[in-house]
Amino acid sequence: MSTTRTILICSGKGGVGKTTTTANLGISLARSGASTVVLDADFGLRNLDLLLGLENRIVYTAQEVLAETCRLEQALVKHKQEPNLSLLPAGNPRMLEWLTPKDMQAIVALLEERFDYVLIDCPAGIEDGFKNAAAAAREALVITTPEVAAVRDADRVIGLLNTQGISPVQLVLNRVRPKMMSSQEMLSVDDVTDILALPLLGLVFEDEQVIVSTNRGEPLTLSDGGSPAARAYSNIAGRLQGEDIPLMDPAKLRRGLRAKMRELMQTKIF
Amino acid sequence: MTLQLPDHRSQHWKDALPGLLEQEPSTAVELDCGDWNLNCTDLQQLLQILDGMGCRLRWLCSRRPKTVVSAAAMGLNVHPVEKMEQPSPRSEDQDGLLVHRGTLRSGDHLQCDGDVLIYGDVNPGARVSAGGDVMVWGRLRGTAHAGCFGSTKAKIVALHLRPVQLRISNAVARGPEDQPLDGLTEQARLDQGVIVIEPAETRSIR
Ligand SMILES: Nc1ncnc2c1ncn2[C@@H]1O[C@H](COP(=O)(O)OP(=O)(O)OP(=O)(O)O)[C@@H](O)[C@H]1O
Ligand SMILES: [Mg+2]
Repeated sequence: MSTTRTILICSGKGGVGKTTTTANLGISLARSGASTVVLDADFGLRNLDLLLGLENRIVYTAQEVLAETCRLEQALVKHKQEPNLSLLPAGNPRMLEWLTPKDMQAIVALLEERFDYVLIDCPAGIEDGFKNAAAAAREALVITTPEVAAVRDADRVIGLLNTQGISPVQLVLNRVRPKMMSSQEMLSVDDVTDILALPLLGLVFEDEQVIVSTNRGEPLTLSDGGSPAARAYSNIAGRLQGEDIPLMDPAKLRRGLRAKMRELMQTKIF
Repeated sequence: MTLQLPDHRSQHWKDALPGLLEQEPSTAVELDCGDWNLNCTDLQQLLQILDGMGCRLRWLCSRRPKTVVSAAAMGLNVHPVEKMEQPSPRSEDQDGLLVHRGTLRSGDHLQCDGDVLIYGDVNPGARVSAGGDVMVWGRLRGTAHAGCFGSTKAKIVALHLRPVQLRISNAVARGPEDQPLDGLTEQARLDQGVIVIEPAETRSIR
């Protein structure tokens, strides 16, 4: 059996950060030396290539590889700055009918021969697109935000992953706003983990740099900038590889800021 | 292709079977009964559904010895399936008590004819319906229906009873909004047609 880790990145609800997580995790893992491929299984609305700035370099898709009209190497798009990272689009938007669970297993089997990590960017929903994407996964990351609807959908997806024997399933809580959490306008970390009952792999704060980097086609983790979300993503990559990195605590972060202010006041700078 | 009866959490086999048969092009059906414990009456009903849709049973398989025995007794072509690795949420039916280990998650709907014991939580968005009592050894935060065939004696008991909605027989109630006291097991029962919630009785239900 291969030692490749094939990880599905899914959420149920749309727009909670699957593609952003896949791109940033891909960069972080690749940077740490692991050969990594990100597979865009959301090919109806594909945009992983956009986020990675690779849109104009795609020639083939997994579809041509399976039809043997091209070799796998030809279809893989290597990242410019991070050569350990490749992208493979599962299909193109005009081929909505093509992918079956068997196709997915065949293509992932090819990828597992040559990569340490296969990250699968899953489409939203729980229908065929999800089932295809999940067909070849061994483990999963469920992305959710601290909102009731997102948590509800995540719960549904976890139930489905459980029946498919995908394990471990771990949780990433995205778009956390410490201020709203502490004022209880948003579900707390405990509220979310209490319902979903999964190990929490990481917290990512709401960070406008995410949106800036998305538009630029350069994932945050690519530049060494220490924005909170960039750090969060590289921490998640670290934990995924078994490093023991403590979780950021939103409450502590806020206390930290206040404490710093108090220190500054005491030194009479203000 | 072999038809697969659904998991206990998604649908009752009786509700699922007609749809499965509709999608099956062949009239000679191979059926995997999975974890369902089917007795002779159940199997007779199953054959009737098949018959009603113009199908006949080629063979069936099951993970449950009871189903295999009943099917063999009825002269059906049956074989057991190896107990492969058991999925973590799983259900086992024994003499009218369905025991489900694991949490029911949003979208799940566990249904059974008799009583049900859930060894885990019932999350918001999940449902459980039983002909008899619903017992949750965990937190009930979804929707529960006891006595779903009309029994007014049925009860709902949970270590932590904060459902979205409760139903007993034909009565419906919204769940209480305040948080329960920790360590207070509560029950819901019908009192003159109205659902009341009170500390659980300590004597056994049956
Ligand atoms: N931590 C964050 N802070 C701020 N904005 C974020 C964060 N994470 C994601 N976003 C923004 O949210 C939007 C949706 O993100 P993304 O495309 O990654 O979600 P998705 O789950 O892949 O969506 P879909 O279901 O449509 O595939 C994007 O505009 C992204 O920039
Ligand atoms: Mg996406």
